[in-house]
Amino acid sequence: MTVEGLLEHGFSPVAMPDGSRTIDGVYIGDLLSWVMGRAQMDNAWITIMSNNNVIAVASLADTSCVILAEGVELSQDLKDLAMAKDINVLSSPKSAYEIAVTLSGLLA
Amino acid sequence: MKELSLNILDIAENSVKAGASLTQILIDETDNRLVLSIVDDGCGMSPEIVRSVIDPFYTTRTTRKVGMGVPLLKLACEQTGGSLAIESVTADQNPEKHGTKVTATFFTDHIDFTPLGDVVSSIVTLIQGHPDTDFLFRHTRGENRAELDTREIRQVLEDVPLSSYEVISWIESYLREQYDDFS
Repeated sequence: MTVEGLLEHGFSPVAMPDGSRTIDGVYIGDLLSWVMGRAQMDNAWITIMSNNNVIAVASLADTSCVILAEGVELSQDLKDLAMAKDINVLSSPKSAYEIAVTLSGLLA
Repeated sequence: MKELSLNILDIAENSVKAGASLTQILIDETDNRLVLSIVDDGCGMSPEIVRSVIDPFYTTRTTRKVGMGVPLLKLACEQTGGSLAIESVTADQNPEKHGTKVTATFFTDHIDFTPLGDVVSSIVTLIQGHPDTDFLFRHTRGENRAELDTREIRQVLEDVPLSSYEVISWIESYLREQYDDFS
């Protein structure tokens, strides 16, 4: 499953500098320092946080994308930052749990 | 970080790296406000660097492109409605009096306030890891106070290193005893 492949399943693009990246797992968390040490490379990271540190943590952990749950939005500044730092960001109106269930089906 | 004590460790390590001979770790709690200050007499930072350390994509380390210590502390205090301030004077600006002061203000009655956690362990870890530099720790909460100054201990001990097992154990129990009286 690729990041751009999610667009056919109800996810909206927020910033997509590299839609061809592969997703091979999922991590959910909002405490950034915790996520930083635990999210794995190529995970899709589901969170409700939206500040510049999210982009930094996604970069550090080398996740394939950030998925903003529950309709959380990014400011234009942060969309620009995500593009500049090569971080894919998608959004969904669903809860983290519902997103994880969807991804579970897609990754199976 | 799940506990502010881990943030304290992170920021104080920066002070040691900046060549501080004395790093002060001050926690002052009054009513619903907690002010954490980390004050060092290290090399200081130019205004440009001060601006950039708040940026998560800045770091003095070369192994990775992101430095999260200050950004995460800033996030932790802003989540409670508080704020973070950094004042710094470089050795070039003032050879007599230079260093950096990081002040984080938290509102402890906000639901997103991160608990202080085990500050004693953080202080002990710092002293153990850097036995040749000095630390002043002071935590006040109303009438309560816990305090430790390694300069005083050093005077009494003379040549015994602060990192020796007996000294570290004593420091830990000395601090914990002071917290037993906290209300």
